[in-house]
Amino acid sequence: MALAGLTLALMSSAGAFAQDAQTGGTLRVLGTAEVDRFDTVPPATADTGSFFRATTRQLINFAASTDPDEQIAPQADLADSVPVPTDEGLTYTFKLRQGANWDAPDGARQIVAGDVERGFMRLCNPFIPAPAVSYFEDLIVGFADFCAGFAGVEPTAEAMKAYIEAGAVAGIETPSDDTVIFRLKYAANDFIYLLTLPVTTPAPVEVLDYLPDSPEYRENYISNGPYTIEAYVPDTQVTLTRNPAWQAESDPLRKAYVDKIEVIAGVQPDAAMQQLQSGDGDMLYDINVPPVTVQMLTMQGDDKISTLAEGSSRMIWINTVSENNDGALRNPLVRQALNYAVNKAAIVQQLGGPEFATPLNGIFPLGILGHHDFAPYPTPDNQGDVAKARELLAEAGYPDGLSLKMPFRNAGNGAAEAQVLQASLEEAGFKIELVPTPPSDFYPRLITNFDNALNGVWDLVPSGWSPDWPGGAARSIFQPQYSYDGTHGTFNFSDYNNDAANEVAAKALATSDLAEAAKLWNEVDEIVMADPPTVPLISQTTVLYHGAGVQNFLPYAAGGNGDWTNVWLSR
Amino acid sequence: MNPEIKQRGSLELTLRRLLSDRAGLVSMVFIIALVVAAVGADGIAALTGHSATAQFLATGLTPTGLPVPPSGEFLFGTDQLGRDVLVRLAHGARISLAIGVVASLLAAIIGVTVGLVAGYFGGWIDVVLGRLMDLVMSIPVLLCMLSLVAVFGPSMTLSLIVIVFFSWTTMGRVIRGQVLSLREREFVLASRSMGAGHLSIMFTDILPNLGAPIIIYTTMMVPTSIIFEATLSFLGLGIVPPAPSWGGMLAEAANNSIYMFAWWLVLFPGLALLFTTLSFNILGDALRDALDPASMRNKVQKKKKQSAGAAS
Repeated sequence: MALAGLTLALMSSAGAFAQDAQTGGTLRVLGTAEVDRFDTVPPATADTGSFFRATTRQLINFAASTDPDEQIAPQADLADSVPVPTDEGLTYTFKLRQGANWDAPDGARQIVAGDVERGFMRLCNPFIPAPAVSYFEDLIVGFADFCAGFAGVEPTAEAMKAYIEAGAVAGIETPSDDTVIFRLKYAANDFIYLLTLPVTTPAPVEVLDYLPDSPEYRENYISNGPYTIEAYVPDTQVTLTRNPAWQAESDPLRKAYVDKIEVIAGVQPDAAMQQLQSGDGDMLYDINVPPVTVQMLTMQGDDKISTLAEGSSRMIWINTVSENNDGALRNPLVRQALNYAVNKAAIVQQLGGPEFATPLNGIFPLGILGHHDFAPYPTPDNQGDVAKARELLAEAGYPDGLSLKMPFRNAGNGAAEAQVLQASLEEAGFKIELVPTPPSDFYPRLITNFDNALNGVWDLVPSGWSPDWPGGAARSIFQPQYSYDGTHGTFNFSDYNNDAANEVAAKALATSDLAEAAKLWNEVDEIVMADPPTVPLISQTTVLYHGAGVQNFLPYAAGGNGDWTNVWLSR
Repeated sequence: MNPEIKQRGSLELTLRRLLSDRAGLVSMVFIIALVVAAVGADGIAALTGHSATAQFLATGLTPTGLPVPPSGEFLFGTDQLGRDVLVRLAHGARISLAIGVVASLLAAIIGVTVGLVAGYFGGWIDVVLGRLMDLVMSIPVLLCMLSLVAVFGPSMTLSLIVIVFFSWTTMGRVIRGQVLSLREREFVLASRSMGAGHLSIMFTDILPNLGAPIIIYTTMMVPTSIIFEATLSFLGLGIVPPAPSWGGMLAEAANNSIYMFAWWLVLFPGLALLFTTLSFNILGDALRDALDPASMRNKVQKKKKQSAGAAS
């Protein structure tokens, strides 16, 4: 019944299109934390994607849409069309769109090919490099060399400017002002997706005078999107206003109906939801709609709820490098027993039912090219198979079970999830010691610190992952988490590596046939799960909500929320 | 006719005064009921067939994971994981009472010892112990607790230690003041002149005279300790889940705005906490009145004056 109600709600939210678009007004966006970055280069939270959507443009981007397929289809933004690679997938030639301008200090100025190359060069600046830089070092000819040289440069604005102005990336050619050519080391079918990342935003020549995202950079912000920064009060509010240099006809993806956008920080989730319902606020910034609130709104017949599959997943990481229990977790049988034991249906129920989460049995969640429905460790209705788990545990030589330490992130749903997991694992003979960990410590100090894994501070950790971009993002799930090249990766918590999987993954990245790529990624998934380093739990769906005054609320997949640049207000 | 005059002992008098205080009596009954519930928590679990940590995914939760309201099967409803609130409340009473009583007793022992030594010896010992109490009182409690938990990880023992550490000082101060006046009294002088040692004087002459304040302040410390434990658990720094504690239950109700839907998750643990602390406070008051009739007369007179003032 509730399910039918929600479906109805989703359908009726599409009914808003009937109204005519209105220009003007101020969009009020509420968040707990402030917009953390103005510059696209340094590491930023995923929520910042919505801000970058309004103030920056990239060669390729996504359309805001309610259609799940359209949400993740690459579209031309600064490029005038999505190019087909030539030279057996090694060369990408982009023509730049005319009329796309910088809001430069001396007036509007056309974005040129040199700006695109400069944007890439800033990625590996020694002051504060971009997190995605390794993808491009791996792919673009000569980029790794450029970055290696950059690493030795003094991290001052002058030295970095000199290096960028003198240097060149062999694989990024700019034969004319309106043409950029990328040359790749190997064919990669997700290169187009990589170009949607905000880090690939071109850079105007002026920004080289400032350190990335420094107060001076923010003071002299140069936008190329429909909005620019009007005012900024730290930890309180960012106000965006129209960018005079932006031309509507040069931008197929952003309509820019509202005149101003206020991003207000310091609002607690409860208060934000109340403000949205009363009309004092319009949209949410970094606030997840609490599942209980969603269900109450659904019961009240509220039609402003929608969902977005971003390729987020939850899983339990298994520590295979510690000496706890004499290295019992290194035994694949024990890890398979864990996979049989967990009641995934209970996690789904805890999160609000099938509208919000789907049980996951592999490493690639729903919405990712490479996801397929398979069950290497099938259990009835995904509720866990206690008998099978106990059997495997006994076969592995632990008929009396195992004692395992499981720290959890003590915020939001963390405690509930951990206790649900504990209940099903204990039924199967595992003794689970829960360790509540403050959210500020969980990822930065506990999990990403490899010493803690080696020293057996944890045996299992419930964890989550969202790929860096939506859609063809299998690389962004597999490489950081499930491959190990000798240097410890931050998010591969126990140095998992599988040469067979790596080999198939390389093939999956190179093929130009997406259907074949999907099949190869499926194979990767099966190889990894045969020797499981994790217990996949669920694919997660983001729930979106907005105020009554917001019309044309279209999800923008890369921002994980409604698109600020396509909504209009009718109060 | 003269009414028959009976000789009553001090204990009997105290009990009579205590029993004639209706509020005190009610709170005592509540506390006894609570102790019974805590001791019989396993019995309640057996009666309902629900253990404190069992998650009833099918009957205790809706298909979309919402807790179910109070009903025949779950008298106080279920929590966000489908566990029986009634059973968890009873098990939570164990932890609250255990921590409340044990922490108060330990704090009382430390407070009495320090107060006794400081007051009796005076001089530099008093100065040192007095400053020590000042020091402990000046430490920001929550901040200190947060850092301790960050280092050692949350546990029941740590909660107990922290509560004791921060609550003995009040007792210490009161006892010290009392001892300062008691040690100048004639019976102490008499003992001393008969050659009694310091320890003997402290324990056989002074300590028995401190009975009333010790009983009263220890009782009063129980609710403070219970609230303290609830605060720690509410902040996720106390009892480790899935063990139930009242503060933890309230924290879980506040999490993710679930209280907006499930009022029973706030109401029952909230009422339990409220009535328990209220009962111990009222009992402490009643004990003071009973043990020290002089203060009760003052109170009655004051009350009369106040009501007269209000009427005019």
